[in-house]
Amino acid sequence: MMDLGTVKERAGPREFSPADDLPREYREAATRMIEFHANSEIMGAYLERPFIRQSPSIDRKLAFSAKVQDEIGHGQLLYRAAESLGVKTREEMLDDLANGDGKFLNCFHYPLESWVEVPMISFFVDGAAMRRQATLRRTSWEPYAHAMDKVCFEEGFHVKHGEDILKELMTGSRKEQQMTQEAFEEWWPRIIQFFGPTDDKSTHHDFASSVGLKQQSNDDLRNAFLDQYIPKARKYGLEIPDEPRIRERDDGTYAVEEDDLDWDEFFTIAKNEYEPGLGQINGRKHAQEAVDWVRETIERDTPAASGHEPQAAD
Amino acid sequence: MTTPDFSDPENLTARERQALECLIKRLADDEFVLAERYTEWQVRAPTLESDLALANNAQDELGHARLWYDVLGDHGYTERELVYERDPAEFRHSTIVELPFEEGDWADAVLRSYLCDVAEELRLEALEASSSPKIANRVAKIQQEESYHREHAQNWLERLAEGEEGHERLQAALDRLFPHALTIFEPCAPPHGENANKTNETSDDEPRATGSDVEADIVDFGLRTATLEELGEEWLAIVVPYLESLDLDVPESGQTGDGEFEFEVTQEMLPDERGRDGIHTDAWVDLYDDFTHTYRELGRSEPTKIMETPE
Amino acid sequence: MIWEVFRQAKTGEYHTHCGNVHAPDREMAKQFAAIQHGRRKPTNSLWVVPREEIGEIGSDEVAFGGTTDKSYRWATAYNTTGTDAREVVESEDEQVTAEKQRGDD
Repeated sequence: MMDLGTVKERAGPREFSPADDLPREYREAATRMIEFHANSEIMGAYLERPFIRQSPSIDRKLAFSAKVQDEIGHGQLLYRAAESLGVKTREEMLDDLANGDGKFLNCFHYPLESWVEVPMISFFVDGAAMRRQATLRRTSWEPYAHAMDKVCFEEGFHVKHGEDILKELMTGSRKEQQMTQEAFEEWWPRIIQFFGPTDDKSTHHDFASSVGLKQQSNDDLRNAFLDQYIPKARKYGLEIPDEPRIRERDDGTYAVEEDDLDWDEFFTIAKNEYEPGLGQINGRKHAQEAVDWVRETIERDTPAASGHEPQAAD
Repeated sequence: MTTPDFSDPENLTARERQALECLIKRLADDEFVLAERYTEWQVRAPTLESDLALANNAQDELGHARLWYDVLGDHGYTERELVYERDPAEFRHSTIVELPFEEGDWADAVLRSYLCDVAEELRLEALEASSSPKIANRVAKIQQEESYHREHAQNWLERLAEGEEGHERLQAALDRLFPHALTIFEPCAPPHGENANKTNETSDDEPRATGSDVEADIVDFGLRTATLEELGEEWLAIVVPYLESLDLDVPESGQTGDGEFEFEVTQEMLPDERGRDGIHTDAWVDLYDDFTHTYRELGRSEPTKIMETPE
Repeated sequence: MIWEVFRQAKTGEYHTHCGNVHAPDREMAKQFAAIQHGRRKPTNSLWVVPREEIGEIGSDEVAFGGTTDKSYRWATAYNTTGTDAREVVESEDEQVTAEKQRGDD
């Protein structure tokens, strides 16, 4: 087995694959990270699914259905990338997500009640996710990097569709503009918290970076996101709330005052103890349990492939 | 009689126009409402893979609805009038597409898909040589996507029918869905109020279908090359033997005489709500309220377009 | 027995199909593939898969990507304002390429 020292030494982009005998610490850290990512795809899709029906036109409905479909596809890719580490199966991860042990992004614990909130997820949160995902194409776990190739390929549609919805709302009636501004004020701090706590408060950061799983720090990602998306928000006529305070540096880039954010709420959410999030978790759990019978039906008596023994000569 | 020329929508008689609109609305409404129901399975299907597959079918159906509604653009109708601001009682879809799914009832999803997909195939076949060039031109594109749907449904049916629980659930779904499936072949009532101008004895406020001339016109004008009765019989001749081959009991199968493939849809086989006649189940009103929610909440007056108008 | 062979040129790249070998079992298939398909072209890893285990679905059976307008699922259907993030631009470029390739068929 490769020792941890060697792992850290070799930890370049796409360096490790299932052919490598990696130490438990690496495999567990990678599983935790990819499982979190996969769970977030599922819970994000679960949060957005009512808006397939509530989309205000057939074209929007098509786009929204396609977007939610893509997120489930991303979950499929990511669970497989996680599974290939040999720590947990997809079924175990989905069961953990159902029973409240699986962790996922803070933003998907909040209720999403109106169409005006949709671009907060579909544009800002997806934009933030894409910023991070683009860096993960260089992660050291090859199956994860390969999954990111496909995810990034599709995700541009999601972000642009989300932006299109925002644009429509912000060029719509005064009422629409006001409702959208209110939704933005509510969601803005959560969006900033997407990247997690500052590097010195992040528990898993050091190890994940040292073995090449994580490619950029929370702070760098957050700052890069702000530089890109504050001008976008302003362009559509959204006013950036006073809190959290955001400093504009001399070079036109931005940094946020971390202490202005509600980290107690963030860590309550991180423990899956936030009430609306629990509702989402349990709602999905019911849906998963309701189709247990189908999975049992298709798994029973299902040979691995055609039932043919590939080892034997024939 | 000579077949009218439907290539110029400006030059149609009132009857020709009514026949075309009646035919298209029901096609579009069926696809639209079925798609709405399919999307309920998104993020709730049995596996991630089956979730993706059903989402695909939902989008296909929605795309077909979009193509059919667009045909009525020639008659001055827009998506606003046809969908987002149409009175729910003016929708003419069959009740099989509006019934809600019980949580987890995947047997219903695949059986309903099968029953609708077979009917869809037959209907599309009967439109291949439609006297309306616009209809005939759109059929092939739609047919290619529908064949995947039917195979998908059959693969699942055969899987589920093998297991004890699957078989039981399929039988229960069949008992519930079958009468509603038959409403696919029921005649349509004209839009509300149109009866008032006619000397029809049943023309009160009830928009019940009266076996009115419009159904005969659809066939006589060459818009569709088979009658509803013929389609219904063909459909029974396909689905009944297939479902029986899965060891399912088809309720009131419509089989007549000793003939192996002679079938007939009779009034006793039908449910109270038939959809085509403007009478819908309560579930339809809830569904309608939900899909128009945002449109109403934001006071929109025009549904958003993303794609270009189909050629 | 026929084994299909997939070659990965360098660490981190994809395994892509490169040919096949006749071999009586998995171990011999791997050894034969190493020589047959790995001796000249740059190779980091090979996969061997029994031919019979491969299922195939072709464009005669299914209309991949559909036959009706699906432009709503492409980034190019949406016009945005201002500078898009680098990764969004990259994604859109990849989609444009894929759309073009689909059109060329």
